[in-house]
Amino acid sequence: MHQQIFASHKNAEKEYLVTWFIKALAATGFVAALTTSVHASDWSPSGPVKLMIAFAAGGGADTQARLIAEDLEAKLGWELIPQQVTGKGGLNLAKALHDMPADGTAIGMVVTETLGYNMRVADAGMTPDDFTAITTTSSFQMAVVAPSTKGWTSFADVIAAAKSGETLRFGVMSPKLADLAYLVSEAQGVEFNIVSVRGGREVMNGVIAGDMDLGFMAGIQGKAVDAGEMVNLASALSTPLIQTPDAPVFADLGVPFNADGYFLFIGPKDMPTATRDALAEAISDVVSTEGYKSNAMITAAFGGATVIAGDAAQTLVTEGYDAAGALLATVEAE
Amino acid sequence: MGLTDYIWLGVLAVFQGPEAFDLFGLSVSITVLMVVAGFILGIVVGATPGLAGPMAMAIALPLLISAFGFTPDALLPVMGFLIGVMKGATLGGAVPAILFNTPGTPDAYLTTLDGHPMTRAGQARKALKIAHVSSATGDTFSDVVLILCAPFLAVVIEGYLDLPEKTALLILSLAFVASVIGNSVGKGLIAMGLGLMAAYIGTGEDFYPRLSFGTQSLARGFPVTTAVLGVLILGEVFKSLDDLRRDRHRPDAPKAPKPTDHAALSRADLRRIAPYIARSAVIGTAVGALPGIGSTLAATLGHTSGARRHARKHPDRLPFGKGAPEGIAATEAANSAVSGANLIPVLSLGIPGNAAAVFLILATESIGGFNPGPAVFRIPPDRINPELVVAFGLFTMMMLANLMNWTIGGVFMRMAGVMARARKEFLMPMVLLLTLTVIYVQDPRMIAICFAIGFGVLGYLMRRVGMSPLPFVIAFLLARRLEDTARQAFSATGGDAWFLFTHPIAALFMALAVVSVGLSLRRSAGQQRP
Repeated sequence: MHQQIFASHKNAEKEYLVTWFIKALAATGFVAALTTSVHASDWSPSGPVKLMIAFAAGGGADTQARLIAEDLEAKLGWELIPQQVTGKGGLNLAKALHDMPADGTAIGMVVTETLGYNMRVADAGMTPDDFTAITTTSSFQMAVVAPSTKGWTSFADVIAAAKSGETLRFGVMSPKLADLAYLVSEAQGVEFNIVSVRGGREVMNGVIAGDMDLGFMAGIQGKAVDAGEMVNLASALSTPLIQTPDAPVFADLGVPFNADGYFLFIGPKDMPTATRDALAEAISDVVSTEGYKSNAMITAAFGGATVIAGDAAQTLVTEGYDAAGALLATVEAE
Repeated sequence: MGLTDYIWLGVLAVFQGPEAFDLFGLSVSITVLMVVAGFILGIVVGATPGLAGPMAMAIALPLLISAFGFTPDALLPVMGFLIGVMKGATLGGAVPAILFNTPGTPDAYLTTLDGHPMTRAGQARKALKIAHVSSATGDTFSDVVLILCAPFLAVVIEGYLDLPEKTALLILSLAFVASVIGNSVGKGLIAMGLGLMAAYIGTGEDFYPRLSFGTQSLARGFPVTTAVLGVLILGEVFKSLDDLRRDRHRPDAPKAPKPTDHAALSRADLRRIAPYIARSAVIGTAVGALPGIGSTLAATLGHTSGARRHARKHPDRLPFGKGAPEGIAATEAANSAVSGANLIPVLSLGIPGNAAAVFLILATESIGGFNPGPAVFRIPPDRINPELVVAFGLFTMMMLANLMNWTIGGVFMRMAGVMARARKEFLMPMVLLLTLTVIYVQDPRMIAICFAIGFGVLGYLMRRVGMSPLPFVIAFLLARRLEDTARQAFSATGGDAWFLFTHPIAALFMALAVVSVGLSLRRSAGQQRP
């Protein structure tokens, strides 16, 4: 047990280093993207660009993708054809994109978890190396959230309730988050009934309806938290939440892993650097420049754009894939 | 913001939407225009033999979405059109049943029993008028109940139903649909099973696709539009084409006699049918409010209970089934009263009761911005719940359609009989092409067309063996929700494999599911006995 905790601490340290490293890379990546822009802007797609979207039509992520497509059309005159390829945590999209030409006429929007945890677990004969990471657009504000009617004001209250014998249902929207919920319960010496649903919207519905007591939400809870209807109890990220900076992060709760994640544009393997950088530049430009529709939407829903482009993005997904291995090993060991 | 503010916002959203045109200085919003257009199309479609509301809704939906886009602004005009079609078709559906003995829907079948004998007796106009009054009354009553009760019912239902109860309720809905729709419980259960199986291909929680034989084309599963339109529309098209081929060598069917009556409905007539309308409106509304149970059951119950009362109280009058005006009234009021109340489970739980509701849910899913579920009827303290505004917008559009139902409905209904002259040889290929286009637009893969044709063949075979395709469609739509809810209930109860039976309400639903299948089995056994 002691050994395990020790190992956990070491893991936590490693996680912090990795995060720092990624952030440093992100900075250089962004600079690199800017400096190569002379070459990149020479490139434009040879025809319509198929934009595959791994998220259900009408949701927040789908809207983001479609608005980016609209912005690119308006700004650069490119023709983008959005198309839903949902299911299997983005792996259906990965599989479909895998065999497409790598000339920039087929790209997809997923989350980093698709190329990380999901690809690792699925063991579907694909690794992040089979894809070209183009750019991230925004990060999640992944938090553990409960309705204020529960009367909890901190995560400690949840643990106290669980220890007093209350059966608590913890809503999650992906297998990785289910693992994290399990690890946090193990670390705190309590038990949660972990209920898996599709998407943060369903966690929110379930919590409102009383089908669940608490759950992960990646930003949609913002307005309800502001209105005092819901409480951010903990940050599932490596960093504190923007909205509730006082809530503990997962490392504070004894879990050396986190749910750091980004919306990510990818292409097939071996996309030429000029193509990749032109796409990255075009996308990062519209999502981070005020006045574009996608920028307005991302600012409202995710607190602003987070751009990690090019090589830095590739490193990010590779690190995520490796970290997933460590997470799985820990869960199996518990 | 109180409830009244939401109601007002909902009304404004309908009438003050984007302007379509100016009428004598009054601006007419595009939403109102769409309700009117949908209503008129609905009557025409309903009145056309062989066509029905759901078919028109299926064809219209993708065209509407491509015209209005995926923005939240598109929601009310698109839903308005669909609601218009739903109401118009319910009204118009009585026309072919009464005039030509060709019911467009299973529930209109019961209208033929008394409606067509009246036509043969030269009383077609009177029959149509009775159908109009009964249908419009039932519909309006049901909508009033919906608007008054939906917000409260939704909250109450949610309070009593936990995950195990929701799972059991879905199972009960499926059992009910399978045993009540169509004429054979066995065929209903088979159709339902096929629907579940088709829906479970390629889906599921695991990262590897199940039941896909390792192929990439099956790994993504069947899109909803492909399966639903395939079975409902392509199946019908294939059957109609086959019928045309078979009928070519037969002499023409005898034409209906010219109506000889001119009399409007007298007060005495109205007094005579009023009790039947009232009783059936209540039955239809109650049946409609139950999740997953459609208008066919309501029509059956309305007709049966009306027949019993009629035989007891007025043995002197013409009995049901021989051309009794009361029979038309009892059936039409009941099946029309379903449509409003049917939206209670649709809005609060997302469970469709009939094919029309299926397309309303499809529309909200495609457009986004409105997720049927418990969150719709919440009133948060210091911000606006846009979904509640949309809900009241929907209610406003329904009342608008009711107004048209009463005013122009009857006129159009009688004019729509002209549509009977449209030739199927030209109509069916057009429908086929349109449907395939619609499917390809939603899922631009050639394989999707192959799937759709496959489902069409399935739908054709089901019709040929007398199996209603509706249990298949409803099972396909509920399958994913059923699996998700069952998994969630299992984990929420801490891995209790008996969660369906250890919770009292869930156990009650399960018992009702068994009873509904059992009773229907007895009923059909009774019918088969000479």
